[in-house]
Amino acid sequence: MLAADEPVIRVAGLAKEYRVFDKPEGLLASIRGIFHRSSRVVDALRGVDLAVGRGEFVALLGPNGAGKTTFLKLLSGIITPSRGTAHVLGHVPWERADDFRRRFALVMGQRNQLWWDLPAAESFRLHQEIYRIDPTRFARTRDALVDMLGVRKLILQPVRELSLGERMKLELVAALLHEPEVLFLDEPTIGLDVVAQHTIHEFLRHVQRERRVTVMLTTHYMKDVAALCERVVVITHGDILYDGSLVDIVDRFTTHKIVTLDLEDAAAARRLAGCGYPCEIRGPQAILRIDRTRIADVLPDILRGGNVRDVSVEDVPLEEIVAELFRSAPARQAAQEAAS
Amino acid sequence: MSRYLSILWTFARACLVRDMTFRANFVLECVTSLGWMAMNLAFYLLVFQFTPEIGAGTGWSKAPFFAFVATGMIINSVVQALFMPSAEELTELVRTGGLDAVLVRPLDAQFLLSMHRVDFSSLANGFVGIGLLAWAVPRLDQPPPPIAWAVYPMLILCGVAILYGLIIMLAAATILMGRNQSLYDFWFYITNFSRYPAEIYAGPWGGPLRAACTFVIPILLVVNVPARVIAQPLTGQAWWPVSGTILAALATLVISRRVFQSALAKYRSASS
Repeated sequence: MLAADEPVIRVAGLAKEYRVFDKPEGLLASIRGIFHRSSRVVDALRGVDLAVGRGEFVALLGPNGAGKTTFLKLLSGIITPSRGTAHVLGHVPWERADDFRRRFALVMGQRNQLWWDLPAAESFRLHQEIYRIDPTRFARTRDALVDMLGVRKLILQPVRELSLGERMKLELVAALLHEPEVLFLDEPTIGLDVVAQHTIHEFLRHVQRERRVTVMLTTHYMKDVAALCERVVVITHGDILYDGSLVDIVDRFTTHKIVTLDLEDAAAARRLAGCGYPCEIRGPQAILRIDRTRIADVLPDILRGGNVRDVSVEDVPLEEIVAELFRSAPARQAAQEAAS
Repeated sequence: MSRYLSILWTFARACLVRDMTFRANFVLECVTSLGWMAMNLAFYLLVFQFTPEIGAGTGWSKAPFFAFVATGMIINSVVQALFMPSAEELTELVRTGGLDAVLVRPLDAQFLLSMHRVDFSSLANGFVGIGLLAWAVPRLDQPPPPIAWAVYPMLILCGVAILYGLIIMLAAATILMGRNQSLYDFWFYITNFSRYPAEIYAGPWGGPLRAACTFVIPILLVVNVPARVIAQPLTGQAWWPVSGTILAALATLVISRRVFQSALAKYRSASS
């Protein structure tokens, strides 16, 4: 039993290596490959340390192939690590104890876990059997979840006839029927329209707050992160590059703010092009990038210049910060390694 | 145990609901399966037009041989209905990473992977097998003694257990290899040996083959031993193969379980 203040997820030096075989092109090379194959070791995860407390909503960000899904698979016990330790709810995940597997859920946006040809209600019933959910509790939880997501009418329809967004909502219902304490979400909003994304955001936020569920989310959509997560972990090339709050990531990795000015006409906007800051003109609109430390000094001067109808000052979009972070990751990691 | 039976019932119920959703497909599968069986039976009837016995002095004349065929049909129909559909799907589950969803469930992975699909149409052959047995037994030279009837269902279960163990080992190979589309083909080649009386494996080639298929991969015990108990006189010597089959079934189950667990520990999962 974990103490209330103990981390729900505790990871130390967790590493996963894969041996991959190179497949050279051409028929002759393929035939040669039957007798001799060259292989190399790929580090999917290289000695990750992390602790996540009860009720936290953590975003795992990283470019494709960074090791995010591998990390989630290790934490849910699907694969075993090459080195290191991990404890989730006090259990070593890859020992696959039933008591552990009854207390978490994994939802993968790109994989369907419901019975394809049957209505979701049948999968829910199976879920009840597998997780040994008391019938009264099962009915209560299922009804609450389907109402929250507005999918009551869909649970009697074969899954193959549903849209991607409808399927994902039902996947979430199935995952939460046994009221897990930890929820791993691997790109749950992938391919969904904005309405479905918004519904899922609202739903997850509600579930996490009401039930104090610990959630780890991997996503490429910064809207998911901004809507749901207070803490962000950035993984690149199998290493954690950043672990901190969403607010700090903006402060730490950007030096400027975006100032958008709506002017009287395009000529007024063009005049701002020579103000000494990077400037993009879109008709009567000028978008300036101004050093964060100088905003208070510069902005009054610009506004005094006249012809300004409206102004907004915003942080650099999260997508941009994260993209830059991913781009600069190899250099940062090399610098960190050199320093250590 | 009751929980697993209840889950198996839920799987079976869901598969029946699905089969009933695609009724034409279900009927077609039954007809295909029965058609294949009818062709086999017709072929054996044809053989018995030319010879009274398969192998001189072996005791496999027409009625005992059809009791043998019936036993094979019953065992195979159980395996085909309960385990093969899941095993066939396993290759795809491993290749696409669908196995991940199985591994996070608080249930024995081997149970979930090997029994989550039930093919009810395959049971049609089993019913035909029971009918054929009912036809053959009154035509035997000696009716089976009560002890034979008592041991027969247990040996049928042993036969099913041996085949199940082999399926599990093939499934383990699939998990290790990441892709094993020849699983079903390999299964067909191996089980082919069990479809005929052991006596046909004789001579310089047949002898070693019979030994290998009895002691290494005990496929020859699957149908031969239960069929022999029912179809041929039960002498004192018959108890050796009976005990051997029980031991082989237990050993196959234990070994296959270990192989499967070790394969799961090495599972790599597919990229998302």
